[in-house]
Amino acid sequence: MKLLLVEDDQEAADYLKRALEEAGHSVEHAAEGREGLLAAASNPYDVIILDRMLPEMDGLSILRTLRAARVRTPVLLLTAVQGIDDRVEGLDAGADDYLVKPFAFVELHARINALSRRPPPQEVVTTLQVGDLRMDLLKRTVTRASVRIELQPREFQLLEYLMRHAGRVVTRTMLLEGIWNFNFEPQTNIVETHMSRLRSKIDRGHPRELIHTVRGAGYMLHEAV
Amino acid sequence: MFGSTSLRLAAAYTVGFSVAVALLGVTTILSTRAALTQQFDERLRSDQVAVLDGYHKQGLFGLKREMAEASAGAGALLFGVQTEAGTPIQGPLAGLHTPVGVSTARLPDEREPITVRVLTDDLDGRYRLLVGDRSDHIEALSQKVLWRFALAFAALLALGVAGGFALSRAVQRRMAAISGTAQAIIDGDLGRRVPVTGDDDLSRLATTLNRMLDRIGALMDNLRQVTSDVAHDLRTPLNRLRQRLERSARQAGDPAHRAEIEGALNDVDAILATFAALLRISEVEAGARRAAFRRVDLRALARAVAEDFGPAAEDSGHRLEFDDGPPVWIEGDAELLTQMTVNLVENALRHTPKGCLVRLSAGESGGLPVLTVSDNGPGVPAAERARLFDRFYRLERSRSTPGSGLGLALVQAVARLHRGEASLAGGAPGLKATVVFPTTS
Repeated sequence: MKLLLVEDDQEAADYLKRALEEAGHSVEHAAEGREGLLAAASNPYDVIILDRMLPEMDGLSILRTLRAARVRTPVLLLTAVQGIDDRVEGLDAGADDYLVKPFAFVELHARINALSRRPPPQEVVTTLQVGDLRMDLLKRTVTRASVRIELQPREFQLLEYLMRHAGRVVTRTMLLEGIWNFNFEPQTNIVETHMSRLRSKIDRGHPRELIHTVRGAGYMLHEAV
Repeated sequence: MFGSTSLRLAAAYTVGFSVAVALLGVTTILSTRAALTQQFDERLRSDQVAVLDGYHKQGLFGLKREMAEASAGAGALLFGVQTEAGTPIQGPLAGLHTPVGVSTARLPDEREPITVRVLTDDLDGRYRLLVGDRSDHIEALSQKVLWRFALAFAALLALGVAGGFALSRAVQRRMAAISGTAQAIIDGDLGRRVPVTGDDDLSRLATTLNRMLDRIGALMDNLRQVTSDVAHDLRTPLNRLRQRLERSARQAGDPAHRAEIEGALNDVDAILATFAALLRISEVEAGARRAAFRRVDLRALARAVAEDFGPAAEDSGHRLEFDDGPPVWIEGDAELLTQMTVNLVENALRHTPKGCLVRLSAGESGGLPVLTVSDNGPGVPAAERARLFDRFYRLERSRSTPGSGLGLALVQAVARLHRGEASLAGGAPGLKATVVFPTTS
């Protein structure tokens, strides 16, 4: 994947660049806002990782300029400020996702992966399928090996999220934000409790597990090979 | 209305002034009467002397002649002479029985008796001479003075009351401006200042208050700036620290070594979580979130939390019950209200032993929207309950359980952002947390 990293903190940028390259991506780094804007506007990237606080030209202005110029590359905004309004402001400016510093690398990586393979918004999907697991989004039904599975509304949402991100790591925080709309970290691991119930309904009695726990990162739905 | 200081002062002043004027009136009337009476009596005496002159010269005959002479003409005096025993001899006053000296008597008349003031004198122990005059005009004059005074008094009272009201209304309007500004500032509009008009004591007070507000504003800005700077300046090194630890963990070959580093990473994350919670509380307390208030169904919000935490409660051996019902509407920030409810539910789940029941409900009590979370756990001593809302305050027995000690502080901050109040009470047994909101109307 071809990534652009706009970050003024040299040490943080070096670390991220190296870690992302180790993960198999090609990364270009811009240490300054104008340079970043120029690169973002002239080259096709899969995802742009943009620091919000940059000297001279800040991240939000870059983002607005890009969106005004119809550059639709997914943008992941990095920020050191965690205010509720800051998040809304970032998303309003055209960011596709928002991550507060400091973050775990796996979190960043999972989010980059989630952004890069987003289906175009105009494409309407009515069914999702992973292996023998099928979800009908119109009838709100789930079957595995043609056997109907009854799910609670939250479990359905959870499974839909996993199926839409099939083959990619989904972190706990992504689920908290995407399904529960929690932009804070609860003390109780509600993701885990719901996931274990979902897992028992989906995988129990089947030789192949579909929901996998990725240690230290989150969950992944995929057909094991 | 009587809660107003200016009105009370005006009322007290009016009452005091009225009493003084009333006293002045009574004194005036009394002294007028005394002066008139004295004048009257002197006239009686001087005329008596003239009549007596006739008696001394020619006895009873001379007396009668002088009396007849003095009775003639308009405004003349009345006379009477009688024997020592009181038998009338001559004159309109001859039938009266008055003691020697000056006295007031009623003289029978065709229509109604008239009041007369009479000077009675003893003549050589043989006769009694009575000299008198109608005294109703003294009464009439006193009455007239009294009426005038009463009128003036009523006018004074009316003016005093009206003036007092007008004065206190004017003062009250300006006080209301000051108090309105203070309320706006309490509600988070920190830029508001008291309007200053003219140059009087209230304006000087307003100016002083504004200077105080500027000072407080500067201090708060300073604090916010420092908090934000600290947050930012600490985040950068913590970010690097986290990245280094992450890199080391990845490169560590030895599993024990790796586990150590991962432990350190967890510690860094705990520091960051505490930091995030502190910043969140400051943000909520600043009150700016009120601009984003929407109509929120408190009950639906609580229902969602109950559904989301049901499985977790089950896994930790608790029962989480929710009292459902019709919507309970409030004006608020759904995200913060959710976090508040989550904190209360988590608090109950984490500080009660297995098997306990936690009940979440949203409803109305006394016409006010109320959210409650109660449990049947060990409870908290009354003396410690209020302190639980303080930042970092933790019960002795909870020190070993994880948590920042900031959960309930955020609950109170969110409650107050909504102009509500969170409180803890004994649940007999257990603990009952209540958040009362103001009505939306």
